[in-house]
Amino acid sequence: MDLGNIFVLVFILFFVAVSIVITWLTTQSTKSTADFYVAGKGVPWIQTGIAMVGSYLSAASFLGCPGDVAIYGIDRIWLSIGFFGGYMAVLLLIAGPLRNVGSYTVADAIYRRFPDRRIKLLVMLTTLIISTFYLVPQMLGAGLLFQEIMGWDFLLVTVLLGVLMSIYVIFGGMKATLYNQVVQAIFLWAAMVFIAVFALFMFADGSFATMFAKAAEAVPPSIAGKNPAAVTAAAAATNASAAVQAVRAIMPEAASAMTIGVQTPNLLAQISTVIALLFGTAGLPHILIMFYTVRSAKAARKSVTLCIVALGIFYLCAIFLGFLMLPGVYPKLVAWMADPAYVGKARNLAVLVASENLGGKFLMALSAAGAVAAILSTAAGLMITAASTISHDLYKAFINKNATEKQEITIAKVTTLVMTAISVGLAVLLKNENVAWLVALAFGIAASAIFPVMLCNLWWRRFTRQGALAGMASGLVVSVFFIILLLTGTKTFLGLSTAGGPGVFGVTISFVVLAVVSFMTKDRGEKVDEFMALAHKEQND
Amino acid sequence: MTDAPDSATATPATIRKKALLFFSLFAVFFVFYLGTAIIQTPECRHIAAIPFLGMPLGLFLSLAIFPVSWILIAIFFVKGK
Repeated sequence: MDLGNIFVLVFILFFVAVSIVITWLTTQSTKSTADFYVAGKGVPWIQTGIAMVGSYLSAASFLGCPGDVAIYGIDRIWLSIGFFGGYMAVLLLIAGPLRNVGSYTVADAIYRRFPDRRIKLLVMLTTLIISTFYLVPQMLGAGLLFQEIMGWDFLLVTVLLGVLMSIYVIFGGMKATLYNQVVQAIFLWAAMVFIAVFALFMFADGSFATMFAKAAEAVPPSIAGKNPAAVTAAAAATNASAAVQAVRAIMPEAASAMTIGVQTPNLLAQISTVIALLFGTAGLPHILIMFYTVRSAKAARKSVTLCIVALGIFYLCAIFLGFLMLPGVYPKLVAWMADPAYVGKARNLAVLVASENLGGKFLMALSAAGAVAAILSTAAGLMITAASTISHDLYKAFINKNATEKQEITIAKVTTLVMTAISVGLAVLLKNENVAWLVALAFGIAASAIFPVMLCNLWWRRFTRQGALAGMASGLVVSVFFIILLLTGTKTFLGLSTAGGPGVFGVTISFVVLAVVSFMTKDRGEKVDEFMALAHKEQND
Repeated sequence: MTDAPDSATATPATIRKKALLFFSLFAVFFVFYLGTAIIQTPECRHIAAIPFLGMPLGLFLSLAIFPVSWILIAIFFVKGK
């Protein structure tokens, strides 16, 4: 085992040890359903805010965002900006009132105004689809990452990760999940900031102007990799800067990494993508249920604000790191993009290679551990969300209405095990597929099926039960329809580009349907005034 | 801190006032965010490519989304009291 592998192993063992200690400490205080689902609703806003950072930052953010910018150039900064921007909708429109009216699951907040079990069923179904779409790429990413850099067995890694997550979700519930997410969030956030700042000084003399100037000189590896002469020239260069110049000499007219509009398919695709990221965040069940863990609406807003500031710094660093990798590891990026076997993996491996160039095996191990922290924290959040919705919205609402708290928690624990098995199974099954786009689709579904209904539920007095059902169903159907179109390789539908996913179509149709149906029907909820007063009351935390 | 916080009842008037503030702030963010995304498409890239402070205007506006959001949040907390 080489030095890098030993460092990675030390970091992983650190996370395992922390998880075990936290789980042991929280097991005794996790007894009721409120403890298991929402950590007793008494978590300090700082803790929830940091945990939210961990829950939101997946491997796609830690490795994918900088990797995309390094390989494709400036157009890909929108992945980072979109991930960040979503929290503005959460803070301004959702967080406070949702905390006031919800109890355990996303469905609760809508069910409180419209006590209709069909709503619970629909939200549960949507939550499960989103959680699965989000979870599988996390497990698959972890397996591939360790297979690639450490030579570890794919199945073993995914199973071990699944077991570790299951242990702390099953025994410690939301409390253990939150504490683990705090540790993981601090680790991965600090790792990203450290690597980006270090890279700025090592690759661009500590100057942003130099960083942009070097990026403006470079032909994006995605373009250079298609030119055999450029690939040869990059490989023969003595260092990354020389490689950038050599490739530019061969391709003088090619776009640079700072040329805008090269990688964006078209206007509609761009709008659809950013709409999905903006509104999808405000509809992600594993983020929304975290607001139930704090004491009040004010505390929920404070936790989101902390999260937004931390995410802003993180994503700015991710964008800068992307540009910095051009003068840092350019020949490697070009070589990967020339090799069909590496095209799909390059965006995830770029940060690791850049880290190794910067600080040797130790920094590479730090990056790999940051990615694992991102995967663990996101996957655990998804796991507990799926467990809550099955036990609370399905078992308690449909199968056993008189279920005791103990029975409900048992079902949640069994669901956690089943979800782990399913996600590991799907990860193994789809091992050779590029499924990173499933996360983007999860955002599309959340934006289309949950956000419009949740927004109107919390703010619109004229909104009706029928409008909620119709809006949610139409958003879900449009999203799923788009997934089918994308799976079958359909590029256009009714003359419209499908490249940006379901975002703009699902959101628009859901809003239109719910508005039309609400104006045609009258059931606004028996206690709508009471509901609105509760949703918007202010509390001192 | 307590688990049973003090609460102030929300009347329809206060909800309307709140909605006006929160949705206005979100609208400002949304227009800035979407506008910046749109000028970076192939159809509008000539606008995004205009040099501004040593970088393309599109990149400047994209990076400005972060501080603009933080300013809006500050307004949200000051005005939302």
